[in-house]
Amino acid sequence: MSTGFDFLNSTAGFSIAWSIIDYEAGDTYFHVFLVGIANTLIVSFFAILATTLLGFVVGVMRLSSNFVIAKLASAYVEVMRNVPLLLHILFWFTLSSALPPPKQSLGWLDSFFLNNRGFYVPAPVPGDGFDIVIIMVLLGIVAAYGVTVWATKRQFATGQRFPAFWTGVGLIFGLPLLAFLALGAPLTFDYPALKGFNFQGGADVPRAFCALLFALVLYHTVFMAEAVRAGILSVSHGQTEASYSLGLKPSWTLRLVVIPQAMRAVVPPMISNWMNVVKNSSLAIAIGYPDLVAVFMQTSLNQSGHAIEIVAMVMLFYMTVSLTISAALNYYNKLVQIKER
Amino acid sequence: MTDATQSDTAFRPKPSLPPPPNTVGVIGWLRKNLFGGPVDAILTLLGIYVVYLILQFAVEYGILNAVWTADTYRECLDINKGEGACWAGIGAWFNGMMYGRYPDEEQWRVNLGGIILLLWLIPFWLPKVTGKIQVGMSAVLTFPFLGSALFIGGDLGIFLHVMAAIALTLFVSVWLHVTLCYVAGKSLPQTLVSVTGFADKDDRLHKYVLMGAFGIGFVLAMIYIGTWELQEVPTTIWGGLFLTLVISGIGIASALPNGILLALGRRSKMPVIRVFCTAFIELFRSVPLITILFMAVTMMPLFLPVEINPPKLAMVIVAVCIFAAAYMAETVRGGLQAVSKGQYEAAQAMGLSFWKMMALIVMPQALKLMIPNIVGSFMGLMKDTTLVSIIGLYDILLMGKAAGQNPSWLGFHTEPLLFTAAIFFVLCFAMSKYSQHLERTIGGGYGRR
Repeated sequence: MSTGFDFLNSTAGFSIAWSIIDYEAGDTYFHVFLVGIANTLIVSFFAILATTLLGFVVGVMRLSSNFVIAKLASAYVEVMRNVPLLLHILFWFTLSSALPPPKQSLGWLDSFFLNNRGFYVPAPVPGDGFDIVIIMVLLGIVAAYGVTVWATKRQFATGQRFPAFWTGVGLIFGLPLLAFLALGAPLTFDYPALKGFNFQGGADVPRAFCALLFALVLYHTVFMAEAVRAGILSVSHGQTEASYSLGLKPSWTLRLVVIPQAMRAVVPPMISNWMNVVKNSSLAIAIGYPDLVAVFMQTSLNQSGHAIEIVAMVMLFYMTVSLTISAALNYYNKLVQIKER
Repeated sequence: MTDATQSDTAFRPKPSLPPPPNTVGVIGWLRKNLFGGPVDAILTLLGIYVVYLILQFAVEYGILNAVWTADTYRECLDINKGEGACWAGIGAWFNGMMYGRYPDEEQWRVNLGGIILLLWLIPFWLPKVTGKIQVGMSAVLTFPFLGSALFIGGDLGIFLHVMAAIALTLFVSVWLHVTLCYVAGKSLPQTLVSVTGFADKDDRLHKYVLMGAFGIGFVLAMIYIGTWELQEVPTTIWGGLFLTLVISGIGIASALPNGILLALGRRSKMPVIRVFCTAFIELFRSVPLITILFMAVTMMPLFLPVEINPPKLAMVIVAVCIFAAAYMAETVRGGLQAVSKGQYEAAQAMGLSFWKMMALIVMPQALKLMIPNIVGSFMGLMKDTTLVSIIGLYDILLMGKAAGQNPSWLGFHTEPLLFTAAIFFVLCFAMSKYSQHLERTIGGGYGRR
């Protein structure tokens, strides 16, 4: 048995079904590691985004005064959380094989296509000067942050509120848009088109990606929804009444009194839910989506035999991601916690 | 002019408002909960439509168009053109999904083991039975040996033989105890002491009576088990729901004690123990279970001597136990932190040692507070055991998959998944309801206000 990390420089003789960064059979094992990481992160990112948004919706639905809506939401929660995630993934993967073949794809606007091979979308092709737009986005974010800091200071000093949120939105989206139009819209799209037996052009994601994403979102939304529900319930009704009696409008009450207090109870479970999404994306191996565990811990390990090094590298990656997410959100959590004594 | 001013400033009551809408009875309930306003009404109708669509699909797919008797998947498709479920396949594969490749004529052993475990746990629901902790401890600590003696069979070996005999003796005495509690209103030890006439002798002698009785029972059990002639069923052909329950059962049973030890270690004042426990918990909590399983099956054999060569099931169970303990440790730590400092100080002021303080004062309160989370992680563990199918153990999920790869059942994929989902739903839903019941009964006074 040979040990050491030398094998990372030798070529991996296998191909990978789909990757977000370029890969060809014959690249090194280290490249395979990077491909796996990128594939894991991209699916986790979209899953976390969708889970958080949908979780808020379902959590609020469960608290709705409307009987049908509330019961519908709680039925969803009970069914989804009592069935193993692996089953969800296999189920949606099996169902997705029943999608029509490429020639009868489900199309939308002649540019988005769904068939039993995957999901096809137009790929953006940046033209000359598109980098200026990107720089404008970054500038907008910096400017929005500055405005927020200034507005808070001014409010503490004078009591006057400044619409920092909408100004920020204007800066982040408006600035790049102006630059984009001024430069003559330097962005074109490469549309997928049916040629021969399959689509050419555009960007595509395989069926396994869609099924994995769908299952992860369906399953983890439930835990997010429960966290949101518990958070809102944890704010005492007296707070709402007190802010009404101060003359705040209901929308202000929600924004300035209820949600900031609810976030305290929502953030810690949200942290662990996000970490679980990243960890659970490793179940991709069951349906052949080439994530880190599949390409590195299974295929590469079987071919190179360097069990100890590979297992250590994979574990190190997951630990880094988990600890980064938890450090970032714990910092946020510290900012919003009640400061007592 | 003055008249006009006066009449302008004079008090003129506004017309009275109409009475508030009816809020009682069916109409009031409908108005309050379903049709509060136009948006509410639209949402309600939309919700009802969604429910209708789901129910319509479920009834058509699951009942109206379903096929209940067929020999191959082809036959099912010929009958319903794939528009309904093929429950006939579930019937054909039911045995496999329950027991895996456990030989048909030996399956009574699995059933018997399950029945013994259920009987052992029934006293928990009987209010008159005393000493429930001892009953539970005896089941958790010794049933695994009796179970493995039954399930594996063959030549037991001296260790398993002795442990199985102890388990059998304890099981019989638990049920003697239960019967006595209901018939005579006395516990088994009390009865034994009074029957042998030791009741009026020194209390210190009582334990010899109990030990003697246990000894007699043990010898009888040893002889009885020696007469067993069970065919050996190696763990490699265990499978189905049985395997799922074995793995998750051992994981669940070991999670709480190991988790408590790790949580205490993490709060220990001794740096070596604290650092070790913290590192252990953080490491295994931040990586996916599947990597731990891979680690167990690929790396563990590298570190063990060649001649041991443990079966895959044993390595998987070790991995699951480690994983479960790390998660449980954090739950227990949450509970320990929630117990107020005054309780620790009061226990120390009473002069209790560390272990007595933990066992008598702190743990009971911490665990009661954490009932929902503890049961939640049990449920999570049970669901996570499906991952063993990825590394090739034929649990219920992989048996279902194997069904769809059988020549006569090619393409039979959806129904096994639905059936498995239904089983997990029932198991987990029952656990969650039981946890809510526990929270109401023994968790009373803490938590929810």
